[in-house]
Amino acid sequence: MNGPIRRVAIGVFVCLGLLLAGVTWYQVVRADELRADPRNPRPALSERGKERGFIVAADGTVLARSVEDPNDARSFLREYPEGETFAHLVGYSSFLVGTTGLEAAYNSDLRSRRDLTISDLVAALLGADLRPKNLEITAFPELQRAAYEALGDNRGAVVALDPATGAVLAAVSTPGFDPASLLTNEAAANWESLLVDSEQPLRDRATREIYAPGSTFKTVVAAASLDTGFANPGTTFNDPVAFRLPGSEATIENANGRVCNDGDSATLLQAYVRSCNTVFADLTIQLGAVDVGITAEALGFNQDIPFEWTIPQAVWNTEQLAADPAALGQSGIGERDVRATPLHMAMVAAAVANDGVAVNPFVVRRVLDADGIAVEENTGSDLGRAMSSETALTLTQMMERVVTEGTGRQAAVPGVRVAGKTGTATGTGGFSNPWFIGFAPVDNPTIAIAVFIEGSEVSGESASGGSVAAPIASELIQTWLAIGS
Amino acid sequence: MSRRLEAATIVAASLLAAFAVALVNFAWGGGLDVQVGLTFLVFIVSFGGFFAAVQTFAPRATPLLIPIVVALVGLGFFEIYRLDTERAGLQRWWMLIASGIGVLTLWLLTKRGTSALRRYRNVILLVSIGLLLLPNLPSDWAFPLKGLEVNGSRLWVVFDVGFTRIQFQPAELAKLGIVIFFAAYLADHQRALREAHRRFGPIRIPEPRQLIPLVMAWAGSLVILVWQRDLGASLLVFAGFVLLLYAATGATGYLVAGGVMTITGAAAAAVMFDHVQRRMTAWLEPFQHYEDEGFQIVQGLFALGTGSLAGSGPGLGRPDLIPNASTDFIFAAVGEELGFAGTVAIIALYGLLIAVGLGISFRSREPFRKLLAAGLTFILAVQVFLIVGGVLRIVPLTGITLPFMSYGGSALVGNMVLVALLLRISHEEAR
Repeated sequence: MNGPIRRVAIGVFVCLGLLLAGVTWYQVVRADELRADPRNPRPALSERGKERGFIVAADGTVLARSVEDPNDARSFLREYPEGETFAHLVGYSSFLVGTTGLEAAYNSDLRSRRDLTISDLVAALLGADLRPKNLEITAFPELQRAAYEALGDNRGAVVALDPATGAVLAAVSTPGFDPASLLTNEAAANWESLLVDSEQPLRDRATREIYAPGSTFKTVVAAASLDTGFANPGTTFNDPVAFRLPGSEATIENANGRVCNDGDSATLLQAYVRSCNTVFADLTIQLGAVDVGITAEALGFNQDIPFEWTIPQAVWNTEQLAADPAALGQSGIGERDVRATPLHMAMVAAAVANDGVAVNPFVVRRVLDADGIAVEENTGSDLGRAMSSETALTLTQMMERVVTEGTGRQAAVPGVRVAGKTGTATGTGGFSNPWFIGFAPVDNPTIAIAVFIEGSEVSGESASGGSVAAPIASELIQTWLAIGS
Repeated sequence: MSRRLEAATIVAASLLAAFAVALVNFAWGGGLDVQVGLTFLVFIVSFGGFFAAVQTFAPRATPLLIPIVVALVGLGFFEIYRLDTERAGLQRWWMLIASGIGVLTLWLLTKRGTSALRRYRNVILLVSIGLLLLPNLPSDWAFPLKGLEVNGSRLWVVFDVGFTRIQFQPAELAKLGIVIFFAAYLADHQRALREAHRRFGPIRIPEPRQLIPLVMAWAGSLVILVWQRDLGASLLVFAGFVLLLYAATGATGYLVAGGVMTITGAAAAAVMFDHVQRRMTAWLEPFQHYEDEGFQIVQGLFALGTGSLAGSGPGLGRPDLIPNASTDFIFAAVGEELGFAGTVAIIALYGLLIAVGLGISFRSREPFRKLLAAGLTFILAVQVFLIVGGVLRIVPLTGITLPFMSYGGSALVGNMVLVALLLRISHEEAR
């Protein structure tokens, strides 16, 4: 009988081998997939009530903190004292609806590792610090609040950068939402209602959405023209009422429907200061998609820009536009398929302000351990030279003229030299998307700004970048200079 | 392994159980409390006492069995404690009772040994069938012994004497009685069963007349399935019988016939019964039926996957999200908190246990004892494979307990009796 029993024994051990294969399959091979399944509440539940690190602003204001739960001494509650103004930048960490913003980008630093797992205990024995780390960020709450208030009831975004380093001084998207509402027991319902809100408050318009930049893109085209020597501010172009796109019946007209200068000729400076579409469409086609593309890519278009989270690429389709002059003409005024985030357009303004060198944006200045010692420090990084020093200087003078006598007059700040460029991109459903990019003070720029308004209620002249976005920039520059002094 | 080492290993395994309970306490902000001490005390009294009884009643028994059992009970116990402190308290009482009944079994067998079981096989079979039928007693009559229906299955008996109620599953003991009967029956008839065959090439087909016991076992297990809706016990009894029949005769034909009958029975059951049909759906497409049939299985897989390599740590996972975590899904619950390291250890421990059981069978010279040791080990192995395989989606979930680890008193009693029988056989066959 030992023969058959032995054969059954072999069968039994084959079955046990199957069980080993089974646990290997689910606990090793597919473990990450199962853990990350959206229906698996465990990862979020394990973070619930855990202590997380502080997030503080450049001036020391607390943006996120964990406080002990008064009802449960072993549990912590997350608080966001600045609420809606920092909702997209700081994000939230909710066991019910997930984690976003810096809370997500720096989750591994912010979370406490004191959860008594064997690997953590071993790490602690080897001297690792299991306490949550803290973040110090570059944004200024005063500027952030000013931007949030200036945007008012508009859907839109404001991004302000330090042009020398790329440090984000403010990044606001409106409408905001209260991150605290996503931490309560009603979080799921609150999140649902934010999701279906037609104003799309969960959307981060400042860094995660790309829009047609409109006439602010003329800054890139102008830089390319100056840099290649194709034109200087005095170079003259034809000045028709309407510019006929080559190979097409379509025409491009100026915003007011009139000629740019005298109907005979207009200079590059005049066209830029008055934001003449006719001249820039003509100029862009003459200059060519490739030369514009070189400058655009030097400014970070068609590239992944390093940031705390993935930001969508800004778009300039060189190859496609080289083969389609009509599309190139439209693209030269920032329409058609040209796209950029407000963050990216702030980078463009910053590059002009920074003597032609583009810088990568960043938000987290330092990561501090629980004892306050910096374990990671960020001083910014260059993307590289986007235009020559002379081009940057000339372009700065042109942009200053926009504010002193052109379409951006409402961006002016008394006693301060401001440079800028307006834009009024075609939005959806007949609404326009006003823009303004710029920097100040001109002789020693400390702030570069992009203001974007989505689908302004009123169209036409009263909803242009000059009338809607420029005044917001003016306010923010004043606030910023007040903070600095 | 010396006796002293065996005793030391039992103490070590008991300490491990108490330590795991302490870890759960630490995870919840507690510390070394009365639960930790009580756990250690109950383990030492139960298994130390059982060990001492083995020294008295079966001194030549193998020293390898009890330490493995204590380790498995400990791994299950801390998880039961983590899931439900109240149940852990009850389970401690059951440990004492089960060990006591194990000792009683050893004592009863001291005089005449396991050959008494062979002699009284028909009585044992009748008692077992009687036990199996107990849950079908009316639930509402005046007699203190009543049947009870839980989750659509009739497996429970309530002994209700006014001041207290004791619930138990008589099938847990009945299945041992049935294995004893099978072993005795096959020991008597093995020659006849082995020799009456027709050959078809390499496969030997038994004479139709010799298939009668197989058909009867099949019919019997189908009755259990239909009448009591107990898929697990039904499969266990039938698989145990087929494997033992093969062990006794070496006729591959029985394995083939048994396999065909299992699949036919399962397929018929899936068509005829909703509850079997639902289990099939949960097995094949759990993720598509996450909201209903598949929920338990998927939660079990989430638990295992989230546990990953090292596990969350005792008390730090969320195995409470799995329905029936402390009974049917104890394996997934431990897998979440102890990780792959823990599940591999558990499977290895069962492998050792089965190896020791089959080793006892190998070394036995007397056919009845050989078959009994093999049969007892087979039903243990089948049970482990069915429930762990069910949790891992290797086979459909049949809803039986994981031996020694799941919460449940009757199962623990049955399994301790099984261990006592194996120890007794190894004592009798020791040279």
